[in-house]
Order: sequence, then structure tokens, then C-alpha cells
Amino acid sequence: MRRQLRSRRAPAFPYGYRYRLDDQDEVNQNYLADEEEEAEEEARVMVVHDLEEEEEEEEKEEEEEEEEEGQGQPTSNALWQKLQIVNEHLWDPEKRMSLARTGQSWSLILVIYFFFYASLAAVITLCMYTLFLTISPYMPTFTERVKPPGVMIRPFAHSLNFNFNVSEPDTWQHYVISLNGFLQGYNDSLQEEMNVDCPPGQYFIQDGNEDEDKKACQFKRSFLKNCSGLEDPTFGYSTGQPCILLKMNRIVGFRPELGDPVKVSCKVQRGDENDIRSINYYPESASFDLRYYPYYGKLTHVNYTSPLVAMHFTDVVKNQAVPVQCQLKGKGIINDVINDRFVGHSQMDT
Amino acid sequence: MRLKTPEIYSVELSGTEDVGKTDTGDGKEKYRGLKDKRLELKKNHQKEELKKEVDLEDHKLSIKELERKYGTNIVTGLSSTQAAELLARNGPNALTPPKETPEIVKFPQADGAILCWIAYGIQYFNDKSSSLDSVYLGCVLALVVILTGIFAYYQEAKSTNIMASFSKMIPQQALVIRDSEKKTVPAEQLVVGDIVEIKGGDKIPADIRLLSTQGCKVDNSSLTGNLTPSLRTHDNPLEAENPWNKMSTSPVGTATGMVINTGDRTIIGQIASLASGVGHEKTPIAIEIEHFVHIVAGVAVSIGILFFIIAVSMKYYVLDSIIFLIGIIVANVPEGLLATVTVTLSLTAKRMAKKNCLVKNLEAVETLGSTSIICSDKTGTLTQNRMTVAHLWFDNQIFVADTSEDHSNQVFDQSSGTWASLSKIITLCNRAEFRPGQESVPIMKKVVVGDASETALLKFSEVILGDVMEIRKRNRKVAEIPFNSTNKFQLSIHETDDPSDKRFLMVMKGAPERVLEKCSTIMVNGQEQPLDDSTAEAFHTAYMELGGLGERVLGFCHLYLPADKFPETYSFDVDTVNFPTSNLCFVGLLSMIDPPRSTVPDAVTKCRSAGIKVIMVTGDHPITAKAIAKSVGIISANSETVEDIAKRLNIPVEQVSKRDAKAAVVTGMELKDMSPEQLDELLTDYSEIVFARTSPQQKLIIVEGCQRQDAVVAVTGDGVNDSPALKKADIGIAMGIAGSDAAKNAADMVLLDDNFASIVTGVEEGRLIFDNLKKTIAYTLTKNIAELCPFLIYIIAGLPLPIGTITILFIDLGTDIIPSIALAYEKAESDIMNRKPRHKKKDRLVNAPLAIYSYLHIGLMQALGAFVVYFTVYAQEGFRPSALINLRVEWEKDSVNDLEDSYGQEWTQYQRKYLEWTGYTAFFVGIMIQQIADLIIRKTRRNSIFQQGLFRNKVIWVGIASQIIIALILSYGLGSVSALNFTMLRPQYWFVAVPHAILIWVYDEVRKLFIRLYPGSWWDKNMYY
Repeated sequence: MRRQLRSRRAPAFPYGYRYRLDDQDEVNQNYLADEEEEAEEEARVMVVHDLEEEEEEEEKEEEEEEEEEGQGQPTSNALWQKLQIVNEHLWDPEKRMSLARTGQSWSLILVIYFFFYASLAAVITLCMYTLFLTISPYMPTFTERVKPPGVMIRPFAHSLNFNFNVSEPDTWQHYVISLNGFLQGYNDSLQEEMNVDCPPGQYFIQDGNEDEDKKACQFKRSFLKNCSGLEDPTFGYSTGQPCILLKMNRIVGFRPELGDPVKVSCKVQRGDENDIRSINYYPESASFDLRYYPYYGKLTHVNYTSPLVAMHFTDVVKNQAVPVQCQLKGKGIINDVINDRFVGHSQMDT
Repeated sequence: MRLKTPEIYSVELSGTEDVGKTDTGDGKEKYRGLKDKRLELKKNHQKEELKKEVDLEDHKLSIKELERKYGTNIVTGLSSTQAAELLARNGPNALTPPKETPEIVKFPQADGAILCWIAYGIQYFNDKSSSLDSVYLGCVLALVVILTGIFAYYQEAKSTNIMASFSKMIPQQALVIRDSEKKTVPAEQLVVGDIVEIKGGDKIPADIRLLSTQGCKVDNSSLTGNLTPSLRTHDNPLEAENPWNKMSTSPVGTATGMVINTGDRTIIGQIASLASGVGHEKTPIAIEIEHFVHIVAGVAVSIGILFFIIAVSMKYYVLDSIIFLIGIIVANVPEGLLATVTVTLSLTAKRMAKKNCLVKNLEAVETLGSTSIICSDKTGTLTQNRMTVAHLWFDNQIFVADTSEDHSNQVFDQSSGTWASLSKIITLCNRAEFRPGQESVPIMKKVVVGDASETALLKFSEVILGDVMEIRKRNRKVAEIPFNSTNKFQLSIHETDDPSDKRFLMVMKGAPERVLEKCSTIMVNGQEQPLDDSTAEAFHTAYMELGGLGERVLGFCHLYLPADKFPETYSFDVDTVNFPTSNLCFVGLLSMIDPPRSTVPDAVTKCRSAGIKVIMVTGDHPITAKAIAKSVGIISANSETVEDIAKRLNIPVEQVSKRDAKAAVVTGMELKDMSPEQLDELLTDYSEIVFARTSPQQKLIIVEGCQRQDAVVAVTGDGVNDSPALKKADIGIAMGIAGSDAAKNAADMVLLDDNFASIVTGVEEGRLIFDNLKKTIAYTLTKNIAELCPFLIYIIAGLPLPIGTITILFIDLGTDIIPSIALAYEKAESDIMNRKPRHKKKDRLVNAPLAIYSYLHIGLMQALGAFVVYFTVYAQEGFRPSALINLRVEWEKDSVNDLEDSYGQEWTQYQRKYLEWTGYTAFFVGIMIQQIADLIIRKTRRNSIFQQGLFRNKVIWVGIASQIIIALILSYGLGSVSALNFTMLRPQYWFVAVPHAILIWVYDEVRKLFIRLYPGSWWDKNMYY
């Protein structure tokens, strides 16, 4: 019986909010009249309450709330009406429908969507499978994006600026730790155990099937002499003569062109040339030896260790920022890509 | 610190409509808001004022009182200085054109821009070096808003200009007495108190109080909707004979009058402002677009919030999560759609303009398509707005005259001697004349100086007999008594053109019963016979029959004055009437009607079959209204009104069951006593309704009544009296030729050829555009998912961002624009004129199936296809999909320059960035290729593409070509411009998505197949949009 009441009222109100948009004045004028009507209807509802069954208690509460709201403001009342309609849309107990669908309809939808998405997933799986079929696990299809090789420095601590105070070990201790950690893989014992000592000055080419394991050339920590951390465990930081390691990025199949090894040279980028005064390179050739190339990829070239060049800034000007730029020089190396300061050169302030 | 700078997509949250008004005319809108209030008050005020039927007292004052009141002199007129002063005080004598901000299709894109800037603000606050992407995006969005705004404004302005050209075509001049001199001044400069002279054919420039007149009549048809100058009482200034109202035309005579009201204060101005006070309803398409915006916003906000929660629970920073939230909301917005909708609408508007429908308000293009009720004015819209001879009665027989527009084939029997006499009377007893200098103009188009009936008779006789002026010259007029309302006849005496016959011929026409009273004989077959009871009976039958057709009947008689009593030199005196006016010979009857336009019946039938109810609303007499309604098919041949049934069954009207009657004729008097509920009942119960003798207010009430039925109401009209209703209607249609400026101003659409049939074209175009907009929106929405998914995956799985903001913009505003416009050229799938008009509240532009199918079916397929392209590119470059997962943080760190890929290769930050852009390009190409398939499948909603014809719509192929060319240019031409984030893509990647595109096509064909196979099934209900 009440539902009748409600449904009778419903069509009058769902779009009631439009009145406010269109015609505020009119609403204000009608406001009193509305309230009267409302009151009348409330009264009727009240009478009906006693006849109602318990199962609709929830609704009763709503209705009562509505009463309070109704006496408050007409705006919030309209809002309440709207909410109620939304609520009814979400779950209509009379027709046992949620979002205007019955349970049966919902399950049908779920089944259909399940199959639809299952077949889509199958399609995608098929696509990805085909994709993997066309891709070799040993050799990337294209390498043009990763060339020319970039360089990276160690120690690396979020920033390219080296700024420390010799007398305060805290300011450089993390560099030392970082370097030590990084060089663990280059320990002479490890290198001798795992890798072969191959002849310098020529490519270490290993023919054979793609899937055969490849041997790697030794790069011993001791090659780095003063910067190996073996003699001076602080890599010179404690004396204000920092060591910085330069590493060229690995690229599968990359060979420095024409058999010339890639050289490293550092200079002051801006400012006085004499600010760094002297740099010692280790290995002394300041180059990445050819025997470390080519690289055959992670899967087969398991123990490959990247060659390094250490730069020992033995007499750098203190208390002043010195922008240093280190460049790789060699055929096939582009070191002036404007957008990328990591391709071919590296810079640092001391 | 890439971590803090996720790409922010474009935002365009659809907020509430209020925010939406930030469009182009912010200031204007605000101004309008203020004005609305004022108008509201004004409206109420005016409504009441008009209901009081105008407090004009001036026509009751004496001339002396008038002179005092207005500080003027009827002989010398105002002085120039006085006039200038009054002009400055009261403003020009012109109607204020209704100020209106064009309701362009609104997208709150501006919000998008603002959100972008907010996002940037947050980012900036967080990290000073954050990228400017979102700022750019904000700027682009703002630019889009501004450009589309300008575009829409340009469109509106163009139509307005056409309108302006109408009214400015003939600058109205007025002859005024000022400083005791007669001067010609532009009518705009008239002021209250001016003494003006009116000549026949002039438009009356302002409300004037008549001071003197010479045989001057006035045609108030544009005010009352009636064609004839009706006999009026002095109680109502609208109907009173004096004063005359602005805009009325005076066809004959001359007159002098004093201006008592100018500009907006004239009666016409008041009606016009009543019209502008009527709030313009939101157009259905605007409502639909708003609904669509709500859906998009709903989807955006709910996905955004969902992913905000996910992001927070995945332990992203809250600030990042907020940026993601904004990003998702932004990504959901179809930036290009506003432009597309505007262009689509204006394309249709252009097409309609070619077919003589000038659309003033772009959105009205669609409104006509949703129209379910047309309330048509009679005079000038359904009829030709000119009296035309329809029937003749002589020799005891009724003859039908041709009432078509050119009168070309008059088929009745012209051999009878009676006709010879009748034609002579028609020719001679007529004061109307053609205006000179129109020799080359076809007869029916010539301008005539004379009232409506005389014009009709003149043209009728000119067509049949040839040069009437020549005939009149040969039969020189010697005396004349003009028509007046007491005599109700007109009489003239002529010499005959027969040189041997020295008798004078007296001819008379007038109200049939009055004419018959004066007759003693009647002419049958050229012979005079005494008028006996049986012939009188025949006359009455014919008179009643013609009158019943709603026609105005005139009687004609003549008398040859005996030569002995009236020699050649006899001087006739019309004041003393020294000649007989009785015992004349009755010759025949002739009835006139304002005939329906020849194209109207067909158009009405078409409207019927399109499910549109046509209601006639006229100020005319019910009988005439009904007759016209019957002849044009508004009341169909076999349906009867309650009165008809009563008459047929010979029972009182009260006993007739209302169910039996399909048609109803309701007069203004009856309407006045009806409650709104009764009116609703009337409108629902009867399918064929004619409202007669209605006032402008009642037209408004009728329109409101129709709108209460959830109908989309079109109102056609031409007069000033129609303008409030035109304004109130969902779409007001004014007549371009006959229409008054007030009507044209109030209307949304103007029929340039005054042809009701053009409305049918409009309906067709409107329905087509609705269908095609659906397709366009479906097309546009689809790729939104493909643009959104990458971002969601980026958040959840931590892949490098698959597609960037700028790239998305290039899809939305680049490759997709022309194809989505191309869909506007799609032909209808089936006969759209055979289906019912859409229900305003049920058949939405964007319904659930459309959104679901676009988002969850095709959109997802598209996203997957694009992802395949993306993964292919990354995998071939070294990053297998498994390596990409959760790579985001490392990937985006500027300082990491040796990021390892699946092969152990190390990537610098720039190399990664470049690869990312390649990924963008690949994803872009993937979406673009699949959008081609999407475009093709959207050509139809039900039919197979092959039924529709793959190549019928050539523009689609232009669209596809444009899509491909733009993509090629972006990739290969602009691939080196790093700011655009495009790279040169390897050619093979362009084809990776092709199988997916084909899959989309096949899937959609299957969907359509099932829809066709099982109409009404679950599939049909859920998959047909």
C-alpha cells in the first residue's frame, strides 16, 4: 500500500531537481505549497505505518529520515529522493532486480563475459606466443636503440657530484663501500677461477652455436692498481685523491670498430684546464681492451665482467666545483649526442 | 626524479553544467544568469500585462487630449530638437533583438585544463624540476576549448548574419511631419508624438493613433494570425480599429496618425518580449550530451577512485596516487569530441540550408529529428497566405477552381453565358489594381494594391480573362459605392464595351444574403429567370455548402440600366443613390479560401508515417480551420470529430462516446475553461487535433501541454503572435518569406521557402544526425579505453609507460578527427522516416549498451591489440615482457644509466627514453590501425557493412586515408622532433595490429548478425546501441 504511495509520488519528483535549475523563483513560490503537500502525504504515511509489516523496517527508517529531512530543507529532501531512486536502482526488492537486471540476467551476462574475455585472453596468449617464437633468446632482434654504448661511473650514489671532506670520513665512506662492493666481482681470485686469460689486443670471438656457453675474459681488480682498493682501501678518498671508475655499457655483439680499443680521456668541461692538474688512468692505456668484446648476452656469457678504466684524480683543486667530462674515443663511438650526457661521456664535480 | 612525474593525461572531467559554462563566454554567461532573474520577473509581469490585454487608453482619448499628452501638434508635428530628445530618452523605434548566448554544445574541457595545471602545481610543489607535460596539456586543452568555442560562435554568427540580412534588406522609411515639414526618416528614428503619414502598401512603423483616413484598411494578420482585416471592437487595442499596430500593413488608402508607442513598447514589441521572456528549453541534444558527459565522468571518476585505492594499497605515495587519479580522469576525456560534434552539426546545418532550412541554433539540427509533435500555425504555413477563389456557383452548379500556387489549369465550364456575365462582374466590381511596373512578374506573384478578397478576384480574373486593366478601361467606371460594413456590398456602374449598347451596366458584389435580397431574377445558362423558391433554395444549399467548407462566400449580381431612363449623360450620385439598387439579376456565388500549399498534404502524411503528430493551432475560425485541416490531412479523411458523429447519428453531442472520435476541433474559448489535466487528456485522447481561435498565450499553453507529455514539440509559425510559442517550443520554426522578424528571432530554424515540406527534410536530417552522432560517439569512446589501459597497467604492473599524453592528444585531435566527422556522412541504415520519433527519456544518445560495447568489448580488444604492438617493440629491442614488469621505478630514474635488459645489455636513461617514445609511437600506430577497423564497423549499427556498402560513403575513406597519412607524417616526418615524442617506427610494426583490426571487424559482424537473426532477444537488447 505504501509502495503505491511512493510510486505515485515518484514520477513527480525524479526530475524535480530540474525545477531548481530552471526556475528558482517558481520553486520558492511553490515552496509553501510543496510543504503542505508533503505534510499531507507524511500524515498518510504515518497512518499506514501501523499496518506495515516488519520486513519493511528498513524502509520505514528511511521514510522517517525523510520526514526529518523534509522538515529541514526542500533541497536535501530532493536529494534524498534522488538517493532513494538510486538505491532502488541498485537493488529493487520488489522485482528482485539489481541495476535493472534479474539474477538470471546477471548470471547470463557473467557467463558471456567470462567466455568473451577468456577468448580474448587466448588470442593474446597466442599473439605473445607467436612473438616469442620470432625472438631469439640469445641475441636481441635489434640493437640500434642501445647503440652507441653509454658509460656509467662508480661509485654511484644517486648523484654525479662528488662532494666530500677529507677530514670527515662520513662524507666519503659511502663511496668507498660502494666501490668495494662493486669490485667484489673483480677480485683476482674469482676472476682466475671463473674466467680465462685471453690474449690482449684482439677480439675474443667464440664461434659455435648460439646456445653454447661462452667463456669470459679476466678483468682483475689488480689491473686498477692504485684504484683497486687493494693498497689503499679508501680509494684515495682519505687523501683527497679520489678514484672514479668508468664502465662502458654492455651491448650484445658490440665491437669497437676497426680493431682500435676505446680510449677514455677526461678534461675540465668548463673553466680552468689546470684545475685537475693530473689524472692517472688504470690500466695505463686508459682504454677498454678488445679482448673483452664482443659480448654474447646474459644467457650464455654468464661470467662476463665489464672492463673498467679507473681515473685517479691525484691533484684536484679543492673547495671548488670542477666540472670534469670524460669521453670515450674510438671509431663507432658518438660522444656528442646532445640529449644524452651518458652516451660516450661522463662528467663530475669534485 | 621520474618517480614523481608520471605522465598526466588530458583531463576533462565533466562537472556539473554550471562549471561547464566556463566555455567561451564566461562573462556573458554570468551576465545572462543575472538577466535570467530579471527576465523572470519581467516575464511574469509581462504575462500578466498581456493577460490584461494591454492598458492602452490612447485610442479613447480625443485628439486634443492626445496633443497635450504627447506635447505635439497634429499640423506642425514635433520639432527636430524635441524628436532628438525623445529619441535619446526612449531609444530607437526598433525591437531589441533578443540577447542570447548561443547554447553551444558544452564540454567542460576548461576543467580539464585547470586540473592539468593543478596536477602540475602538485608536481611542482613536490619537485621543482618536474616536467612541464601537464602544463602543455592544460594549454592544449584550453586552446581546444577556445578554438571550438570560436568555431561554434562563428557558425552561430553566420546564421545570425543571414537573419540580419533579412530584416535589413529593405530599410523601412517613414513619412513624418516635423518642424511643419514632411520628411522621410528611417522608421527607427520615430518617436512618440510624431505625426506620420501612411500610404497604401506601407508597413505601419509604430503603434499609431489614427487621426484621419481615406479609405484605408489595415491588415493585422501578423498580429492576430488572421488574414483579413476583421471588424473589431474598441475594447481591445489588439483588435480595435484604432490605433493601428506596428508591423501591420495597410494595403489600401492613405492615413495620418500620431505615434503613441515606439520600439519595445509597441504591442508587437510587448509580444516579442513576452517571447524573449519565455525561457528557452534546453535542446534535446544538449540534454543528451550532458547525459553523455555524466556517463564519461562517472566512468572516469569511478575508475580513478578505484585505482587511487589500489595505488594507495600498493604503497605508492599518496601524492603520486592523487596524480594518478587526476591522470585517469584526464585520460577518459574525449578531447576531440566537442569539435567533432560541432562540425557534424554544422555540416548538417549546411546541408539543410541547401534544402531551405536555415538553422539558427546549431543544436536545433537534431531537435527536429526527435520531434514528436508539430504544432503548426495555419495561415502562411499550411496555407499560401492569400485568398484564392476556390469554388464558383452558377447555373445551379458548384464548380471547383484551381487553387494551386499558380492557378494554371482552370477546368470549369466557361462556355455558359452566365459565366460571361459573372466574369464581367468580377472584373469590374473590383477596386484592386496591380502595382505598376510588374509586367515580367508572373500573375500570382504580382503585388496588388487592394484587400485580400479583391486581390483574389483580381488575380483570378486576370488568369482567366487576360488583361483586366484593359477590360476595365473599355468599360469605364462612372460611379462607385465602396464596400462598407453596414451595406456589406460594393457597387459600381460602368459603360459597356459594346459600342452598340448604350446601356449602363451596374455590377454589385457582397454578402450573398444581402445581394440576394436585392435580386428578383436569377441568371441560368445565360438567361434571366424569375427568382422563385426553388432557385432560392438551391442558392441556400450552395451557400451553406461553401460556407461549410470554411470559405468566404461572395454573391454577385448585375443590372443593365435601361438606356431610356439613364442616357449616356446621366450623372450618377452615389450619395443620394439616384439609381435602382433592387430587382437586380443574381448571377452567381464565388467562394474564396486561403488554400493549403500543394506540398503540405504530402508532408503531413510523411510526418504521420514518421510517427509525428501534427496539430493545427490557428487564430482562425474553427470551420475554416477544420476545412483546411481536412484538406491537408491533419484531420484524415475517415476520422470524425465528436460533433461530426453527433450530426451523422443525429444525437446530441453529449451522448457521443468520446472514444469513437479520433479528431477534435477545440476553440480558444473551450481551451480557456480547461484545466491543465483536461488539456493533457485531450492531447493524449485525440490523435488529430485542431485548435482554432487561439491567442498567443493559449498557443503557449498548448505547447506546454504537449511538453508535459514528454513530447519534443516543434512549432511553426510566421506571425508575431506565434513568437512566444516559437520560443517555448523545443524547436521553433519560422517562415522565411512570410514570417515576421519577431517570429524569425524567436525561432531556432527558418524555412527559407516557407514550405512545410522542408520540415520533413529537417526531420529526416535530424534523425540521421542523431544516429550518426551515436556512431561518432561510439567510435570516439572506444579508443578511450585503449588510451586508459596503458596508464592503469603502468600503475599496477609497473611497465614503462606505453603511451604518453601528447601522443594521446595526437590521436584525439589528430588522426581521429576526420574519421569521426566522416561518420556524419553515413547514409541511414533503414528508412528512418518510417519509425517513431525517439522517446526523449528512453532512447538516449549514449545508452548503456553503447558505452558497454565501446568500453568493454571493442575498447578492450583495441587495448590488447595495441599492447601486442608495444610488447613486440620492446621485446625486439631487448626487453621481454617479463623484464618489463615492475621496471617502472628504475626505468624512470634519471641517474640510472646502465639499466640491464633481458639480454644483459645496459641502457642509458636517454636510450630508454627514446625506446619509450618508440613504444608510444608503436602503441599509437596500434590504436590507429584498429581505429580504422573501428571506423568501418561503426558505419552501421544493425546491418552488415556489406549491406550498407563499404564504399558508398567516400568520406569514410578520406578519413581512413587521413588517419594513415597523419600517422605516417608524425612518425617519419616529425619523428626527429623530440618534443612530440614520436620516433621513426620500423615499417613492420605497422602491421602487427592488423590481425587485431580484422578480429574487431569480424567480431562486430557476428554481433550484428545475431542482432538481425534474433530481434528482440537478449542479445539484441544488450548489444544493440
